[in-house]
Amino acid sequence: MYGRVVDTLGQPLIGATVSISIKGYAYAYVMTTDNKGEFHFNNLPQERYTLVVTYVGYNKLEKTVNFNGKDLLLVVVLHNSSSALDQIQVIAYGTESKRFSIGSVSGVTAEQIEKQPVTNPLLALEGLAPGLAITAMNGVPGSTVLVQVRGQSSLGANSLGQKPYDQPLFIIDGVPSATQNTNISQLSNLALAQEFSGGISQSTGLSPFNDINPNDIESITILKDADATSIYGSQGANGVVLITTKRGKPGKTTFELNLNSQFNEVAKPVQLLNTQQYLQLRKDAFAADGLTPDNNPNDYSGAFAPDLTIYDQNKYTNWQKVIQGNSTNNTDLHASVSGGTPNSTFIVSGGYTRSGYNYPGDFADQRYTLHSALHNTSTDKRFTLDLVTDYGYDQNNSAGFGGSQGVVLPPNTPDLIGPDGNLIWDYKGVPLNVQNFYASLLQTSDLSTFNFNSSLNLSYQILKGLSIGTSVGYSRNNTTEHSIDPSTAQDPSYVNINASFANNSAQTINIEPQINYSKTFDKGVLTVLLGTTYKKNTTDASQTEGYGYANDNFLGSIDGAATTYPYDNIGITKYIATFGRLKYVYDQKYIVEFSGRKDGSSNFGPGRQFGTFGSVGAGWIFSEERAFKDALPFFSYGKLSGNYGTTGSDASKAYSYQAEYETLSYVPAFQGIRQSYPVNLYNPDFGWATKKELNLALDFGFFNNRLLLNATYYRDREGDELVDYPLAAQAGFATVYGNLNATVQNKGWEFTAISTNIKSKDFIWTTNFNLSFNRNKLISFPNLAASPYAEQYIIGQPTSIIIGYRYKDVNPTTGLFEFYDKNGNVTSNPNYGTAASGGDEVAIGNREINYMGGFGNTFTYKHFSLYVFCQFSSGEQPNYLSAIYSNNFPGGMTNEPEAILGKYWTAPGDHATLQRLAASYNSSSINSLGDFVQSNGALSNDTYLRVKTAALSYALPGDFLKKVHVQGASIYVNAQNLFTITNYKVGDPEQPGSFTSFPLQRIVAFGLSLKF
Amino acid sequence: MKKLFSNKNKILAGCFLLVISTLVSCKKLLQIPPNSPTAITRAEQFSDSASAISAVAGVYTYNYNPGFAFSDANLTITTALSAQEISSTESYGDEAEFYSYTVLPINTEVVTLWQYPYQSLYQVNDVLSAITNNPNLSASFIKQITGEMEVTRALYYFNLVNLFGGVPLVTSIDYSTNAQLPRASVSAVYAQILADLSDARKKLPASYPSAGTDRPNLYTAIALLAKVHLYQKNWQAAYTEADSIIRSGIYSLEPNLSNVFLDGSVESIWQLPVASTYQGTAEASNFVPYSSTQIPNYVVTDSLLNQFETGDQRLTNWLGVSVVGNQNVYYPYKYKDKQPTSPATDFMVFRLGEIYLIRAEAAAELNNLSGALADVNTIRARAGLGASTANAASQSAVLAAVAKERRTELCFEWGNRWFDLNRTGKAANALPGYQGYNALYPVPQAQIQLNTHLIQNPGYH
Repeated sequence: MYGRVVDTLGQPLIGATVSISIKGYAYAYVMTTDNKGEFHFNNLPQERYTLVVTYVGYNKLEKTVNFNGKDLLLVVVLHNSSSALDQIQVIAYGTESKRFSIGSVSGVTAEQIEKQPVTNPLLALEGLAPGLAITAMNGVPGSTVLVQVRGQSSLGANSLGQKPYDQPLFIIDGVPSATQNTNISQLSNLALAQEFSGGISQSTGLSPFNDINPNDIESITILKDADATSIYGSQGANGVVLITTKRGKPGKTTFELNLNSQFNEVAKPVQLLNTQQYLQLRKDAFAADGLTPDNNPNDYSGAFAPDLTIYDQNKYTNWQKVIQGNSTNNTDLHASVSGGTPNSTFIVSGGYTRSGYNYPGDFADQRYTLHSALHNTSTDKRFTLDLVTDYGYDQNNSAGFGGSQGVVLPPNTPDLIGPDGNLIWDYKGVPLNVQNFYASLLQTSDLSTFNFNSSLNLSYQILKGLSIGTSVGYSRNNTTEHSIDPSTAQDPSYVNINASFANNSAQTINIEPQINYSKTFDKGVLTVLLGTTYKKNTTDASQTEGYGYANDNFLGSIDGAATTYPYDNIGITKYIATFGRLKYVYDQKYIVEFSGRKDGSSNFGPGRQFGTFGSVGAGWIFSEERAFKDALPFFSYGKLSGNYGTTGSDASKAYSYQAEYETLSYVPAFQGIRQSYPVNLYNPDFGWATKKELNLALDFGFFNNRLLLNATYYRDREGDELVDYPLAAQAGFATVYGNLNATVQNKGWEFTAISTNIKSKDFIWTTNFNLSFNRNKLISFPNLAASPYAEQYIIGQPTSIIIGYRYKDVNPTTGLFEFYDKNGNVTSNPNYGTAASGGDEVAIGNREINYMGGFGNTFTYKHFSLYVFCQFSSGEQPNYLSAIYSNNFPGGMTNEPEAILGKYWTAPGDHATLQRLAASYNSSSINSLGDFVQSNGALSNDTYLRVKTAALSYALPGDFLKKVHVQGASIYVNAQNLFTITNYKVGDPEQPGSFTSFPLQRIVAFGLSLKF
Repeated sequence: MKKLFSNKNKILAGCFLLVISTLVSCKKLLQIPPNSPTAITRAEQFSDSASAISAVAGVYTYNYNPGFAFSDANLTITTALSAQEISSTESYGDEAEFYSYTVLPINTEVVTLWQYPYQSLYQVNDVLSAITNNPNLSASFIKQITGEMEVTRALYYFNLVNLFGGVPLVTSIDYSTNAQLPRASVSAVYAQILADLSDARKKLPASYPSAGTDRPNLYTAIALLAKVHLYQKNWQAAYTEADSIIRSGIYSLEPNLSNVFLDGSVESIWQLPVASTYQGTAEASNFVPYSSTQIPNYVVTDSLLNQFETGDQRLTNWLGVSVVGNQNVYYPYKYKDKQPTSPATDFMVFRLGEIYLIRAEAAAELNNLSGALADVNTIRARAGLGASTANAASQSAVLAAVAKERRTELCFEWGNRWFDLNRTGKAANALPGYQGYNALYPVPQAQIQLNTHLIQNPGYH
């Protein structure tokens, strides 16, 4: 019996498993297809056989074959698996199919990623996985993207009162990323300069993930519960993100080329006042303050108003358009060559991406990537080798600061730059006293990142079912930075030419020997994994500032600096662990799984280094029960699963367990002796923070699994939090590092639906949907009231609680914002501090996401394919008034959004939204503005539905392509952030409370992909 | 029967053994260097005297936090404002509150006045606890450094108790008890100061341990002791201690007033080097304007200006003048080095001039009026003035002459005028707007939140 296995395009499928068996007999003939996709069974007895052909990612084919002894040639066509249930997903140290999975795992595929014209792969995850919150910090090319799985657990606020933001562990091709998801830039640049108050007080910066080309990613898996993450022990508490890059597939050597050109513009621009509107607002403000504007710069009464008395009253510059209103042209080029035999495959791909800044000046982020993967299996199939290497080089040059305050410059501000290109610092003899926006274009900041990620996997099968192997991983990120402040960018009255240089490197070496054992019993399948880990992570950051250069042309070198200030910071952490997983599936119905890890970390002191984490889980595929099958035949799949276990959170820094001294490097030595000083309080006794996680899930499949539904409930509790615990100054230090005996709970629901709605010859319509709810709560905190956290957290409330004043409204008589004091009385001047400490501040809101999710539809009609993906989110966030009153105020010498017109109080009896105007900081109405920013008047519901991705493609007809010797070709249009429906007023709902920051971009990409 | 140890089982067992053995060896794999290159362990820091002295040098770091407390000009400025020696040319802000006696518990200057000394105290306490009975250090080294640290600790507490009243008395490094300590009584703080100083005088020799007067010697301990006794109204003790310094013959008044605050000043009992490569003293950078026509940040008040008699060289040497419009505006100019100078300006902690005036005040209180006037006249002579015209027979007149001389000689130095007015009960008369409770600054609000055992000073809320 001969045959050939092909896909729907007629391409041979190499390595497919073909088995033939006789009904009623357990024995089967099994073989895999060769490199032509062919199989043959010789000397078969004449019989009626059941032929089963399986290939990962394709639907299983089962058919009856009558073999009458004569040569029989079969052509077997396999269709891509339409059921997500049988797709293989990457998990911790292995893969599994969703069918038998009992852990909470979400996957995002290459298909979903490649349709999004984004440069940072993390951005492509937004809305696609339940329980995964993605926050784009701003629209600066290359900027950081925050990732959080199932809510915030740690409490340790820093000395500025900034609450922490938990992020998952990132693993790329089995290697824990050296940088993890942290900002890699040290010097000021446009990304760092952006303020972000979007619910999370985190610093921005540049992302290490920008060095990974989304085109090189095969899948991204998010591990969320104890079953999936316990095996990562001390590092798994905040979830794990596994990024797997593309591998070669056996077959003809294929060359693929993908080229697109993108156009960017502000996703949701804000309309600011024009000159006439602005000047009228200013005049009204002066009238409200009872002041007459004057042109005397030495008048500090607040009456000095150059915009009204000196500047041209008819000049109009739309600063927002000047600074953010450009459209940039981006380029993305990606080429790959792949192929191989069943025993040996390869892929090599290269990419170039240029993202322009939507900001004046010649700034861009340019990325060069080289990806390769080799796979080899020995002829006896016992030994396998996998080598995956990614190299990324990213150059980001930008302005050193700027944007925000430039956007709100008065629209009649005189020219800030002359026709000769020199900056202008005064007008008609009066100093302009504004941050000269054009200076930022000369204060350039250049960053180069080199990112290297490589993993080698070796495996040898000792016996049937038993293999030993090891994976060796190496991850390194090197970043060099250089920023300058030349004389041409400085106010000539005080010039200090200076430059900064910085280097930052992070490296991880990860070695994990493993044993895999699997055995099939009568009806059961047992798989066991046992492994050990050795991991060493080192970081090294240095920075030198140089001042007092004699000439701008020396700024490229530190040698020209009269004075230098060096700084460095070096870190090391080692981990060792033993981990294991045991899974037993009985009769395709019952599943039990145990996993665990004994983990040691050098970040802990003697006797506290080791921790043990584990999980136990079980699943029941009840749809396989005969009674169920008979009763509810339209159910094609049903699974009930649950697991419970522990994970941990590591100490954030090395050596904290010992009392240490550092040297002072900035000050001159004392009598020739370099000074040392103590850097921490001695507390050797801190240990792991431990998270206990419960996960219950119910899965259904209907209509032959064309509709798959999942509902998941989880409850996570983290205790023994590791924090910098604040102390009274008399202790000698503001904080001590240690465990805090408090418990934070995150619980929630996650729902997903995957459906193939219509599937006919020409038309296919599929839908993906997910929705998640997370509820965060501080459950216990012994002695909270007496602790330093008394002003930041409340038991029974979310950890993102906002404590502030209760806003009433604008007093119609006085025109001032009014608030309720702690007793419920109305006041325009509430007292600072919580009610417990005598103030008027109470819980006024929180920054939890109430619900979030996404849904995507793919329509394929003949050669056309349309994918539309919408993402939505809802929560309470700072509104645009918070932004208006935080830095400036209407009536002051800054521009305002048009939205405020008609909303402010002008005369007694007005029931206005905004209080009366103020012309300067000397205005008597200024105090209640600061109080307003700290009240719930500055918070609003922020619910939006954003058409995140719309992708239309057309595959050129095969007949035509054959003539030109092209295997496949398609043209496409991909759009990101196409449009948004929201109740959020003024600005982008994804950047709440910061409408002047570098805005998120709407991207439209036109592209062509070719396959030879 | 199946073989219990089939080949397969043997291999399996071997594999598991491999994993177990890895685990056993793992503790070694977890070893990291004992410290990072940028930080060493406390034990290593104090493993020999060459290294330990670097921690001592850290205690003496000028104008840095952590480092030598009160060397950031913050104490100088706030107390000079409160004593109305100077006024701020900014009419609002945290500093203006000191001049108008409206200091709030959230005042940021108060926060640093409280916090920085405790960070410096931790350094001192840590050095003391690390060297005590340390077998790696010689007995003579331990003795010397213990004395120096005790003088330093006494100096910090002396200023804290005068700024805030009784403060938490921290003499160890155990944060678990220190962080929640309540305020000690004023007398308990003084008892600690006296205990430290009397121990220090036993330990410190008359010679300085290193070049110049950069580190305390015996007479530094005695100088602070004299000042403490003066404040405690132990007149005889104050007299005896001050007298012993003057009689030691080690110090003499610097004849040239412009050299008093320079490195190598013969008047110095303790001065800290300010050898910065890019700026001078914190005092100079706060007080001295960039140009002779610029309005200084702080202007010397008329009430202080009027105290300088005609011909007083201190007026021309220790006050600077800016011509703004047609007006002469004076600013503190004892420290002149806005930029680094040569010879360097050093930050003065104790100088002989103050000791003369301590002996003078103690003598006057002990009714040794001629002795008192003799000391006052020594100081006046150096300033180019003739003998005091005070009635040599009236104790109150002599005390007034001493007070006036203290006011002109010790202006803008270590809060002398502010503390003098408070300890002599003359503040209410001398300072318009002053009320009794203003003698002490408020405890920072945040500290009360962090340590609920702290009780705010009366009059503040």
